[in-house]
Amino acid sequence: MSPNAQDIRKSIEQNWKEYLSRYGNLFSSDSISGSSPPSVFVGSYGYPKVGVGPMVPPIHGDTSLLDLPEKWSGKTLEDIVNFRLKLVRGVQNVSVAHPQGRYIESLQELAMSSNTPDSDIVFEKHTSPITTIDGESAPFGPIGEVKTAKFSGMSTNQTIEKTYYDKDLKAEDAVVSLYESGIEISKIQKCFSIGMFGKERKLVPTRWSITATDDIISKSLVAEILDYQTIDSYQVFTHEHLGNIFSVFLFPHRWIFEMEEAWYTEKGEIGFGADAEDANGIDHYPSIAGAYFAAKLGVAEHLKRKQRQAGVLVLREIRPEYAVPVGVWQVREAIRAAMSKIPVLAETIDDGLSLACKHMSISKSEWLTKGTTLKMLKQKSIADYF
Amino acid sequence: MVFSAKTSGSDEWKAILSAISTLVEEATFEATAEGISFRGMDPSHVALIDISWPNSAFEKYECDGDIKFGVRIDEFSKLIKRSDKTEAIEISLSDNMLLISIGKNKQYKMRLIESSATDTPLPKIPYDTRISLATGLFDKILGDVQVVSDYLTIKTNATKSEFSGKGDSGEVLISLQKQQDELSEISVKEESIGTYSLEYLNPIVKAVGTASGSIVCEYSSAKPLRIEFKVANMGRIHFYLAPRVES
Repeated sequence: MSPNAQDIRKSIEQNWKEYLSRYGNLFSSDSISGSSPPSVFVGSYGYPKVGVGPMVPPIHGDTSLLDLPEKWSGKTLEDIVNFRLKLVRGVQNVSVAHPQGRYIESLQELAMSSNTPDSDIVFEKHTSPITTIDGESAPFGPIGEVKTAKFSGMSTNQTIEKTYYDKDLKAEDAVVSLYESGIEISKIQKCFSIGMFGKERKLVPTRWSITATDDIISKSLVAEILDYQTIDSYQVFTHEHLGNIFSVFLFPHRWIFEMEEAWYTEKGEIGFGADAEDANGIDHYPSIAGAYFAAKLGVAEHLKRKQRQAGVLVLREIRPEYAVPVGVWQVREAIRAAMSKIPVLAETIDDGLSLACKHMSISKSEWLTKGTTLKMLKQKSIADYF
Repeated sequence: MVFSAKTSGSDEWKAILSAISTLVEEATFEATAEGISFRGMDPSHVALIDISWPNSAFEKYECDGDIKFGVRIDEFSKLIKRSDKTEAIEISLSDNMLLISIGKNKQYKMRLIESSATDTPLPKIPYDTRISLATGLFDKILGDVQVVSDYLTIKTNATKSEFSGKGDSGEVLISLQKQQDELSEISVKEESIGTYSLEYLNPIVKAVGTASGSIVCEYSSAKPLRIEFKVANMGRIHFYLAPRVES
């Protein structure tokens, strides 16, 4: 039997206590020294004046794994939470409108470094051992107000640096061009949030920058996909991790995309959320928030690679075992993992839908009534009559 | 290469650009000796606009070749809107720019964009039913249906057309016959019933609006609808809309 949410939370708490006692001196000290993965964080509380700073673990060496979700596949929820709690977050209150000055510039340099620079942070007072979990960003550990921050031995990523100095490049174009040159999305997102792109630069809270980066990249991918031929079979891709079950159903159609989520409430009832778009794009902020764009990106990457377009239905069942939300990245990486597998083929749209729902505790008819895919399929294309 | 096209007023351009803007952000026009034309689909390929603007509809028209020019519709619209109704508009091309002369003494230059090369065909369908009515009346019907439904169903037999819609809150039925102030024409080979999305119908009818006095709707059961907007001094705008069907 798989552990339930309570067991998982209990074990995470246990680990956290052990960690606190091991690194107890960290919290009775007003400084930290370690290698930043590298990592910067922009808060959203108090916007437009927000807490901005580096994240540093009390560890020297290659700490890159601590803030690189692209490398977290196969890790357990506990592993991931433990990575994150090791990161001490330094903050200074900064107005988002003017990302200038030595402090911000040093953070920008940190964000575009390709190694894990030595970091020495002195705090105004002792850090407080609190944790923050907002669901969009990955969680992280204690917070302290930064008095001074010094980074040394930084090795700058040249591709990002070029974009950084190009003040005529629009932020959207900067994001897309870095993505196309193979830079990890988690890295682009950090540079985006610390105000390194665009004509009029500003800081963007980390949780918004995650959504914005996925949105910009997936939109650009979909624009290319629209020129490709539609697939000619019904394909079902699945992946399960961290107490989340995903199904991606591709069917022959011009690009339409719907993502549905179902979760269990504290009372054991089932909650639903769904959002959809056609080739005109989505015209509202999705009710399922950042997960929508993260999933769209994962599917669009696949279609771009295959040079095909398709109708898409993504289903995500969130099991109670998903005790701690670890961030939208897990949706993106789960969809990428699903799309890298060989799909199960179905004969008809109905068989495909059945296959997509097979491993879930939510029935096909429930998914279909909560979503709009069937309704969207009633609309014919003018090209059907050429 | 010579190309210039002059209209005596600005209404035609305003109607055309606002019609196109309901479907696409960028448009490629084609100019030949016969006149100017545009054809394009919306990104989801549900609707298609086909515009034919013959040389005879212009005050002055010159074109000695086959020219394509691409524009951003919102930019072009913005410039055309700087004209009064009765001001002449003359367009011509020079160095990848569109020259737009408005009235006696105003000239804009607008950067052209790369024109798309794809040739969009037209749907090939026989129409069983053809009705004609005032654009204002059709606009009113769409509004009447919109309050209860997202879709308009049109059912026509030899003597009448029924416009209906159904939604969570209720239903609506509007019945018109061939008579003054209702249908000016009704011609039916076979009783036809088709359902079409108001999300597409409303904007185009609003966009062409008063520039077109009357429209002709042609369709067959569960097949696309074609609306012809007749715009004075201009020729015609054909709007094709794919149906919604229960499958």
